[in-house]
Amino acid sequence: MAEDRDDIQKFIEKWRDSAYGCFSSGHKFCREVCPVMQVTRNENHSPTAFHANIVAMEKGGLTLTDIAQDYVHCTLCGACELRCPNTLFTGDFYRHRTQTVKLVKAVRALAAASGIEQPNWKRWVEATVDRKNEPVLEVPVEQEHVADWAKGLDIPIGGETILFCDCEAAFYRTSVPRATAMMLKKAGVDFGLMREQWCCGGPAAEMGYVDHARSFAEHNIADWSAVGAKKIITLDPHDYITFTEDYPEFFGEDYDFEIVHITELVAELIREGRLELSREIRRVVTYHDPCRLNKRKGIYESPREILRSIPGLTFRDTDHVTQWSYCSGAGGGFSVERPDLAREISRRRMQRASELEVDTLVSACVWSERPLSASGREHNPGIEIRDLMELVAEAAGLDYGGVTR
Amino acid sequence: MSTVALTDPVIDELRGILGPENVLIGKAARYNRTRVPAPFPVHRWSEYVPEVVVLPENTQHVSEIVKLANTYRIPVVPRGGGTGLSDGAVPLRKGILLDIKRMNKIIEIDLENRTVTVQPGINMLKLNQDLRKYNVFYPDDPASYPCSIVGGRIGTSGFSLIAGRYGHTRDLVVSMQVVLPTGEIIEVGDGGGRKIRKSSTGFNLKNLFIGHQGSLGICTEATLELVPRPEVEMAAFFGYPDFETAYKSTGALAKSGLASLASVVLFDEKKVEYLRRDDEAYIPQPPEIRSVIATAMYGTVDEVRPAAKRFLKIARDTGGKYLGDEVSQGDWASRHDRYATPLHGRLLNKQVVPMSWHCEDASINYTFIPQVMKEWHEIAGKYIEKFGIFDDWGCFFYSNSAYKPWGDYLAEIDIGIWEQKMDEENWAAWVECKREITRVSLKYQGSITSCHGSSREGDAEFVPVEMGGGFEVMKRIKKALDPNNIMNPGKNMLDQAYEEE
Repeated sequence: MAEDRDDIQKFIEKWRDSAYGCFSSGHKFCREVCPVMQVTRNENHSPTAFHANIVAMEKGGLTLTDIAQDYVHCTLCGACELRCPNTLFTGDFYRHRTQTVKLVKAVRALAAASGIEQPNWKRWVEATVDRKNEPVLEVPVEQEHVADWAKGLDIPIGGETILFCDCEAAFYRTSVPRATAMMLKKAGVDFGLMREQWCCGGPAAEMGYVDHARSFAEHNIADWSAVGAKKIITLDPHDYITFTEDYPEFFGEDYDFEIVHITELVAELIREGRLELSREIRRVVTYHDPCRLNKRKGIYESPREILRSIPGLTFRDTDHVTQWSYCSGAGGGFSVERPDLAREISRRRMQRASELEVDTLVSACVWSERPLSASGREHNPGIEIRDLMELVAEAAGLDYGGVTR
Repeated sequence: MSTVALTDPVIDELRGILGPENVLIGKAARYNRTRVPAPFPVHRWSEYVPEVVVLPENTQHVSEIVKLANTYRIPVVPRGGGTGLSDGAVPLRKGILLDIKRMNKIIEIDLENRTVTVQPGINMLKLNQDLRKYNVFYPDDPASYPCSIVGGRIGTSGFSLIAGRYGHTRDLVVSMQVVLPTGEIIEVGDGGGRKIRKSSTGFNLKNLFIGHQGSLGICTEATLELVPRPEVEMAAFFGYPDFETAYKSTGALAKSGLASLASVVLFDEKKVEYLRRDDEAYIPQPPEIRSVIATAMYGTVDEVRPAAKRFLKIARDTGGKYLGDEVSQGDWASRHDRYATPLHGRLLNKQVVPMSWHCEDASINYTFIPQVMKEWHEIAGKYIEKFGIFDDWGCFFYSNSAYKPWGDYLAEIDIGIWEQKMDEENWAAWVECKREITRVSLKYQGSITSCHGSSREGDAEFVPVEMGGGFEVMKRIKKALDPNNIMNPGKNMLDQAYEEE
């Protein structure tokens, strides 16, 4: 498929003014916080270049084919948007936030629609469509086993509140959803599972396959509506983004669900005394701010509040602003296309943790836990990767089981 | 000089030197290494696109690339962070764009002799993050501190906001390894010895290789000064009823002789008006404040505490009103990225449009500041009225001299330019505006540029005027070191060195 001139023109018109906001500044303060740029040191991968390309396309200097490959080099973490002086110092007054994540997704979508496809993304999305769940590597994924993690926990199907368990947690690290579910039950939270949960569709949207993403969304929303759900609890920050950003964009005002991220809910349960953490955990930990929680959603207090309420824990924090430049390397489809670079991002994150002389790195994003564990095994064998919910369940005296890898 | 088209064999040779992954020929790679944040003739973008981008990782790579370029007479343009406010890193003659950002390793930290040796592609903020655990820092602090890199600072002879205490880039580079335009690798310092700060042996070559805009070679390693982390950074902002009072107070503060004084910055009335355009650009001040001075003292508690007492008295005695800790500390902390965002741009009818930023950086003696400021604003006003794409964002005057923050000032008029409307006519108007501004600096015995370099249209043509007889020496040096004019050709009028045979 060739580049469609009308589509390209519409795309340029849509993004040009926003691109000039960056182009006119051109200061590149984003560059040294960008996790990918820190590793590749290649100006093509800088958020500034992502915007400048649009101006160059408008001027007839570059085509979609010239630029498409560069937009693979982004974890969609959002650090660049926060570090942009346009956002930092004029954002509130002008109601402006530099929109790089959306731009990258838009270019990827335009590229895929124009037949410029990335082979691993294509395979990944095809497999997701085929199995209704992401092809989580190393373990078999089949729709009929999507709720196997919940065996023996006696969780009902349906209800007003649904716990949405993403693919990685459902198939790969089942200790996370088990710990979460048991803890919620202990705190007296009523919730159920979907009748048939499919992938949230977020990864497909991030890789540029928006139609597929939308069909996943349609299925999931139909399932929620059928059981009368009003509130969705997400474990995974990626799902949280999909449900609060992609779904509203697909369905507009018709989409009316309360979306809650688990760390916000658990912090509240602890604060209100509904969840008691009494078992000591003798660990020296630091916390990894998941990009999508910290940088894209501004959720960085509740995980820290939770960690500080776990007895016995020594918490060596790195503040959330310093962590703008950190990433596990897992997000935005980046690791699927560029595993080599993603591994280096993971290594650097683990290096930062090891400098704090901790025995545990706690994350609140199950997708970050696999690459960080892999890197830890190779470079920092003294550091274990744990999910925040696993620690909370442990501190609540729960023996949650499941697989922790 | 004519440009030699790059042939496939040259690309192949570059790949042989660097490995294929470090040689980029894609269009996007080349387009994104042409421009800098300074106003850019975006309608003529394609004229500046280099033919190939190379990403060397070590000195040997750089030397081999330069030798190859010299053999085939291909221009080489070194590029650091690409954050400069003049055209040092813009390839005027296409050729090979040598991007040094992959050369970003710390080679040695010597806490006893107080140096850190780095590759030039490292950013100062990142360097200082790594130095923090040793309780030392590298005090080169430009507005672009979070994004500019050491090599670019050396190539342009950068200005540091805290130079009153710690010196500018040229004072902070102890020695360097340089690849000459013919590919030889040399060491330059004050004399010999990588960590020697003062010597009388031979010529002082170090300063020759600082601020040449990539026209005499490429720095591949730099040994830098380490200083103790300050125990105190005391910022103090003062408000004044008018520019005249603030100007006099600036002179008194700068001449105080207090060694911990790192910086004195005077904001003129236009600048304060500009900063009142919205509530985030500057922490709001009462209307009677019409001019401001920002100052900062760095050092140990024992130095800064008594010095600050005397300093505050001087400010008060000369009409200044301390603006409080919140403004002082908050504004100083955000000094790197607060002041020039495109969204503050306004047309004459007050419409907000995203504007790019021209930052004039002349060096002007204290006594001429009021006159230069007046003439600059008149020039800006004329072009705003006539062309409808410009905006006057006011003036700053920064203490300019290292260790002795008095006498001359980096005089900055900030002009917004609506780049979306850029075409041949508007670009010509801008260059003419720039020339008028430059002429004023020279008329009052100043220098065109304190730190950005004189590498762009509107500046470059005045280099022979400003340098006088020294320009003849510059040309001879250029030709002796770079017989084929391959290093960043077209900058600083140095092409003239090759035209007079």
